[in-house]
Amino acid sequence: MSLDAKKKIVVHCRNIIKTYGTGASRVFALRGADLDVYEGELLMLVGPSGCGKTTFISILTALLKEDSGVCEVLGKDINALTLEQKVLFRRESIGFVFQLFNLLPALTAQENVAVPLLIQGKDRKTALKEAKTVLDSMGLGERIGALPSELSGGQQQRVAIARALVHHPKLIVCDEPTSSLDHESGQMVMKLLRNIADKEKTTLIVVTHDDRIYHFADRMAYMEDGRIIKSEMMQTGKETTK
Amino acid sequence: MYQIALKMLMGDRAKYTGLLLGIAFTAFLVTFALSYFAGFMTRGFALISENSSADVWVMDPAVNSTEMTINMSSTALGRVRSIKGVNYAVPMSVSDVTARFPNGHFQTFQMIGVDDATLAGAPGLTDGRSPDALHTPQSVIVDPGGTSGKLQTPQAKKDQWPFEGAHLDVPTRELVAGDELLVNDCRIVVAGRSQTIPRFPPRPLLYTTFSNTIRLLPSESRRLTFVLVRAQDGISSKTLAARIERQTGLRARTAADFKEDTVRWYLVNSEDVGDMAAMLILAMTVGFGVTGVMLYMFTYENLKQYAVFKAMGASPSMLLGMIFIQAGVGALFGAGMGIGMCAIVGKSVSIMLDYPFRMMWFTPIFGILGVLIVSLTAAAISARPVLKLEPGVVFSSR
Repeated sequence: MSLDAKKKIVVHCRNIIKTYGTGASRVFALRGADLDVYEGELLMLVGPSGCGKTTFISILTALLKEDSGVCEVLGKDINALTLEQKVLFRRESIGFVFQLFNLLPALTAQENVAVPLLIQGKDRKTALKEAKTVLDSMGLGERIGALPSELSGGQQQRVAIARALVHHPKLIVCDEPTSSLDHESGQMVMKLLRNIADKEKTTLIVVTHDDRIYHFADRMAYMEDGRIIKSEMMQTGKETTK
Repeated sequence: MYQIALKMLMGDRAKYTGLLLGIAFTAFLVTFALSYFAGFMTRGFALISENSSADVWVMDPAVNSTEMTINMSSTALGRVRSIKGVNYAVPMSVSDVTARFPNGHFQTFQMIGVDDATLAGAPGLTDGRSPDALHTPQSVIVDPGGTSGKLQTPQAKKDQWPFEGAHLDVPTRELVAGDELLVNDCRIVVAGRSQTIPRFPPRPLLYTTFSNTIRLLPSESRRLTFVLVRAQDGISSKTLAARIERQTGLRARTAADFKEDTVRWYLVNSEDVGDMAAMLILAMTVGFGVTGVMLYMFTYENLKQYAVFKAMGASPSMLLGMIFIQAGVGALFGAGMGIGMCAIVGKSVSIMLDYPFRMMWFTPIFGILGVLIVSLTAAAISARPVLKLEPGVVFSSR
């Protein structure tokens, strides 16, 4: 509880309910999920397939609308935002890292990283310069001109992380960031993410099934059947309340 | 982001090449079809084109094309000549005749009777001689008029003018100066061959003098089909045409207006043109379909990439701009390639095969516009799934 008291809450979700379909085919994806995430924290969201992890991160990144409940992210009530405000919110405040990297195959590493800045309206030259700086800091300075197909899986994921970071978002959401990588590359990627949380004070929510990376988390949140059933501080191993 | 959109478009070489080829094919098809059509229409008013010295064409008030004509009284020539502003006016007769070849074979010709004195309207001969040869009595100039193999006369003397009946399936050769034909039982002599603008519909031509047509054709009180007028310096063709109409009651059209009338007449009256237009529309529809589907598929296959942009905060207007810039650039490049190909292929076949191909100023414009409209429509249709796309699909299991 001491951690809760000291740190600023970045994500505050209560009783989130989300269903898909209607009538007899209606399926509950979230059945009243509650979660708090703190500034600079690396939270891992784990649970079996179909438990609602992806739906949950989609809602808190304003990609999906919940049926009911309260979800405040970075001080904004997501439900109250208009479509345009949601677009702006994602553009300014959220970074994404995907399982399959989702790099644009026709763009070089540098151009891929520059995309969020271009979406923000920065001119191409500035965007490319900032992208290079971030790639340099990740040890990919030599590969800025490479196409995704010319990079290894680990390098591609590092490029994807650079893309998630380049516009200095306050929250980065990573969906299975290591599941397409070998153990060594996965560890390298997680070290990078851990470093971001420590140095940049950026909050990271990592959805994963990969138990080999659990030790990088500050806290684990376990989901089951559309709810967060428990969360656990990793440094102490002590189970805490939400 | 537009540069990113273009990189997306051009980055995938295989897809981009396929797309460009598809669009180029459509532009080629549309432009070629229109140029082909324009070529036919140009041949439709070939008679006007080859008489470029005539500023004004005068005809019976009911005539509105070179294809369907009725003759005027011979006094019309004198009346037209009396109009102020007329530099000179010459008669022209146009009629259909059936000529018999020496072996008994027969062929319908369009007979064009030109002014005896000036031979205005008579074509130059292919052997370089002057059309003055027409001054020889009963002489004609023969012209294939866009046909082939219709000006054949028997090679052997024994097959010419046989008493025992026609010798149809005998070796033949092209008509040359000195050969004879029969028109209405009158012997005519070929003075030479010409190669004027091919006709639409194709038909062999016989050029002769106006007085010859009167001698050769069955007796008819009216033989004057057109009066070809040259305007004096300082008077416009339009003004002179209006004056002739006002003062003679005949129809007088400038050469340009008469060409337009003729094209319009074909469009309204010719079943051949209708069939041709239907065929061309079908071809264009196929081309448009190919382009539309290819562009739609291109956007559809990139849905996941658009979902990534959407998740990162790209606005709908930004995504629309990207899709339209891809479609627009693809359409312009493809259309450029297609029209270039069309010009090369069309020119080659028109030279080598005498194909009715004429790339007029409007045909490439229609080609580009057609492709652009189809591309942008396809882009608009393909934009719908992008705009409706749930950005959440970017996550692994969705």
